[in-house]
Amino acid sequence: MEIKNPTPEQNKIAVLLEDLTALESYARDLLSFLPLPVCLVSTIGIVLETNPALEKISGYKTEEIIGNPLEKLINKIETKRLIKETLEKGSLSSQEIILLTKDKAKVYTSVSTLLRKNEQGEIIGFFVGLFELTAIKENEEELRKSQSALLNMLEDVEEEKRKAEEEKNRTSAVITHLTDGLLVFDSQNNLSLINPPAEKLLRITNDEAYNKSLDELASLLDHFKPLLKVLGKEIKEVSRQEIVIEDLTLEISSALISAHSGSLIIVHDITREKAIERMKTEFVSIAAHQLRTPLSAIKWALSLLLEGDVGELSAEQKSFISKSYESNERMIILINDLLDVARIEEGRYVYKLVPAKLENLAQAALSACKEIAAKRNIKLEYLKPTQALPEIMIDAEKIAITIQNLIENAIKYTPPNGQVTVSLKYDIDKVELSVKDTGVGVSPEQQNRLFTKFFRASNVMRMETDGTGLGLFIAKNIIEAHGGKIWCQSKENEGSTFSFSLPINH
Amino acid sequence: MSKKILIIEDDKILSELLARKLKDAGFEVAVAFDGVEGLDSLRTNKPDLILLDIMMPQKNGMEVMEEMNKDPETSLAKIPVVIISNSGQPVEIEKVLELGAKDYLIKAEFNPQEVIEKVIKQIGN
Repeated sequence: MEIKNPTPEQNKIAVLLEDLTALESYARDLLSFLPLPVCLVSTIGIVLETNPALEKISGYKTEEIIGNPLEKLINKIETKRLIKETLEKGSLSSQEIILLTKDKAKVYTSVSTLLRKNEQGEIIGFFVGLFELTAIKENEEELRKSQSALLNMLEDVEEEKRKAEEEKNRTSAVITHLTDGLLVFDSQNNLSLINPPAEKLLRITNDEAYNKSLDELASLLDHFKPLLKVLGKEIKEVSRQEIVIEDLTLEISSALISAHSGSLIIVHDITREKAIERMKTEFVSIAAHQLRTPLSAIKWALSLLLEGDVGELSAEQKSFISKSYESNERMIILINDLLDVARIEEGRYVYKLVPAKLENLAQAALSACKEIAAKRNIKLEYLKPTQALPEIMIDAEKIAITIQNLIENAIKYTPPNGQVTVSLKYDIDKVELSVKDTGVGVSPEQQNRLFTKFFRASNVMRMETDGTGLGLFIAKNIIEAHGGKIWCQSKENEGSTFSFSLPINH
Repeated sequence: MSKKILIIEDDKILSELLARKLKDAGFEVAVAFDGVEGLDSLRTNKPDLILLDIMMPQKNGMEVMEEMNKDPETSLAKIPVVIISNSGQPVEIEKVLELGAKDYLIKAEFNPQEVIEKVIKQIGN
């Protein structure tokens, strides 16, 4: 409204009014612009004024706040305390308070208040300014979590360290107290660990050996040469290789720890076992030798009697002497087999290679077995090879023994009216001989033990008490010494086929 | 005149059995029980053939043969030697044949009758 001809007072008032309006708008603008949530609250806790920042943070609209108690935003107890303390102190600063939003969410805030008075100095309320702490709180929480996680981790690391230490101690105790020698070479093939037994067996100290390659050790000490020879500079994997170091026989095994991280070598002392083995073989050899002389004497004396050199014998006398003679012969065979085994074990089973034809040996063995086959009523058959066999370099005598042994076994373990067939085969690089029978066969679980020393199959034990259990062991050794193979295919109660193959070396 | 055989064998039973068989076959027989005795006997008795054992006390069969070869009168070229041994080891057989032995018999594998046959094969009867 405009006043015509205003008085100076009226002018003054108008100016003042204008100023006031400007101030009001200034205050409102400032309040709206302020990014901090601010409100004016009456002394009894009713919100009189608010700003957009508060509306935004609380989620309430202006009209939902103005005229409402502050309790709507801050819980009752806190509100009361805030009003009380502000009235007493005039202002509060940085009080942590939780703001409740329209969505019932909690917002952490720092609250400051300032008492507001009118021109007359009467308290009309107070300002409440809020500062949002959520982000800081979250950071704090995050920080706390990180800290405790870090502490946990440190604890875990400590625990792991302790465990590792314990494990290390345990492992090192195991390594130190092993009876076997143990050496570890690193990825560069330098010695990184040697335990006391290995130091003793290999006659070297840790200080002398540490960080040296096998090559260097061998050039340093002669007795490392056999080890180098077995393992090579790069330390290849070997299993139970025997080496002799002075008076010790050692068994060497090695393994790669994992790709590119070195090798582990185990040194097992078998000196005692070797000595016992040697003594056993020597004992067998000597005992067998000593037994042969009296057995020969018995044989000769009985044969003199049988041949009538000391007078004619009655039929009954002759029959008894014959039986004694046969028993004695069996004993001689057993002793001979034992001697052969002892020789094989001593490595003295000499192989004298001559050019020979397997076919001739097979036929000779067949005619040697004709008599016993006829006696047992077994048909003995020979299948000529489709292609003539070449001459091969073999110990003919030993191969003959093997063939005869296979044929005799076949006859022995085939019931009367059965058949034994010997056949030969020529392959590109080998010759093969098979002896097939229609006999008792061998159970599958016993087949792999057939060629071991003193083994006799249970079904065979029941039917025939004599037999040394050495024949196939000897046969296997003979064939394998020639670089050949021997095997058996069998079905119980149907028959067996024993075969061996010998390589052709041109 | 019958041929003379010298048996050098330390086992008394074996040598007795052999001697008996040889005498029955019409040979004259002398026996010695070790290598030293054998060498003495062969010098005095001048046998037509020697049956020689290998494993013996004093001097073994190998040493007897080496000793014999030193004297042209008793060399193995002159007096045939047939070995009667217990072992039958290929190395042993090789060695005795190299020294000049005529034949090699493994005791446990032969009968006295077969020994006689080997003797006759060497020197007749």
